[in-house]
Amino acid sequence: MTDVSNPVQAKHDVLIVGAGPAALTAAIYTTREDIETVLYERGVVGGLAAITDMIDNYPGFEDGIEGLKLAESLRKQAERFGAVIELGEVTAIHDEGEYKRLETTDGDKYARAVLIATGSDYKKIGVPGEETYYGRGVHYCATCDGAFYRDKTLVVVGGGNSAIQEAIFLTRFTTHIDLLVRSTIKASDVLQKDLQELVAAGKITVHLNTTTDEIVGKDKFVTSVKATKDGSPAEFTVDGVFVFVGLDPNSIFLKPTPIRLDEIGFVLTDQNLMTSMNGVFAAGDIRSGATMQIASAAGEGATAALKIREYLEGRKHPVQN
Amino acid sequence: MAKNITIFTTNTCGYCHMVKKYLGAKGMTWDEVNLDEQPHRQAEALQLSGAMTVPVTVVTKDDDSQEVIVGYNLAKLAPAVA
Repeated sequence: MTDVSNPVQAKHDVLIVGAGPAALTAAIYTTREDIETVLYERGVVGGLAAITDMIDNYPGFEDGIEGLKLAESLRKQAERFGAVIELGEVTAIHDEGEYKRLETTDGDKYARAVLIATGSDYKKIGVPGEETYYGRGVHYCATCDGAFYRDKTLVVVGGGNSAIQEAIFLTRFTTHIDLLVRSTIKASDVLQKDLQELVAAGKITVHLNTTTDEIVGKDKFVTSVKATKDGSPAEFTVDGVFVFVGLDPNSIFLKPTPIRLDEIGFVLTDQNLMTSMNGVFAAGDIRSGATMQIASAAGEGATAALKIREYLEGRKHPVQN
Repeated sequence: MAKNITIFTTNTCGYCHMVKKYLGAKGMTWDEVNLDEQPHRQAEALQLSGAMTVPVTVVTKDDDSQEVIVGYNLAKLAPAVA
C-alpha cells in the first residue's frame, strides 16, 4: 500500500516512462491541462532522435533540424508547462488498483496512469567480434563516435534510413566508407539521391547482397570486417564499423509483468493505446505496429495524452484480454 | 567530493549533453574538452577511456585519484561525483 508519509514513495497523476518524442509530446498535452506529470528517463532526453544527426522529415522545419536541437526544443516546451523530467530507470510496474506502483532506481513511485514510451535501441548484428570490439571500433552512435574516425576508413552495416543517414553524416570525417547491405537499400528516395552523390564522389562504396560475418581486430582495435558478398567471401580492411540494422524494443523491464508484448517484444495496445494493464498506456516506437517515425511518435504521444485524460476523468476503456 | 571534473565531448553527441545536464542539475562545474574543436586531444580521451567514444568524464577526487566514466552511465556517474 502507498505510504504517503514516505517522501520516496511519490504519488503522481501521470508517470511517463521515457523522455523521447512520444513521451515529451504526451507531457506537453497533459501538463497543459494541469495534469501533474513526471517523466522517467534512463538514457538521453529526446531518445534516438537526440543522437540523430539531422532530421529532415519532421513537419515544420523546411531545412530539417538537428536531432539534438529538436530534442531540446521538445524538452523545453514540456518543461514550460510544468513537466518534470527525472533521470533514473523504471524496473517494474505493478497494478495496485487506482495507483500503479513503479519500481525505480530511486525507490517506488505511484501514478494513477502510466505511459510507456521507452522507444527502441539500435539492434546488434550478433556476429563474432561485435561485443569484443564494442567502443573500440564497433559503434552504434555516429554523432557520438564519428569524430574518432577523421581521415580513416569505415564499414557501415545496414540499408535503411538510419544506416544511409548516418553513413552520409560519417563522410564528414572519413576518407571512405564501405556500406554493407544484406539485400537492397530500403532508405527513402531523398536519402538514396544524397547517397548516390557520395558514391559518385568516391566517398562511399555500396555492397548489396552482402552479409556481415565477423569483425576482426588486433591489439584491442578493429582491423577488418569479414563478409559474404553474392555468396563469395569478402574482407574489408577498415578502422571501424558502425551498425544500423534495425531496432530492438526497450521492453525487458515489462517481461515479468502481465503487460502483453508481441513476439518481438513490442507492447500491444488497444484502439485507445491502452495496454493489457488497466491505466497503463503505450505510445511511440515501443508500441507494436508503430511506424518508427518521429512525427508518428509525437502524434501517438498526443493521442495517448488525450486517452489518459479520458481515463483519469473516469471514462471507461475496455481492457483487452 | 569531486575536486575537478573534465568531460570529453563532441558537438553532436546527445549523451554528452546528458552528462552536462546531470552535473548542472547537481550544481557542479566542469572543464569541457570538445574534440570537434580540439581533435588533437582524441588520443588523450582514448588513453583515459580505452574506447573511441564520448562522453568520457574524468572525475578527480580530493585525494587526487581519478575515476573515468565512459558514456552516459548514471549508475557510475552519480556515485563518482557524490
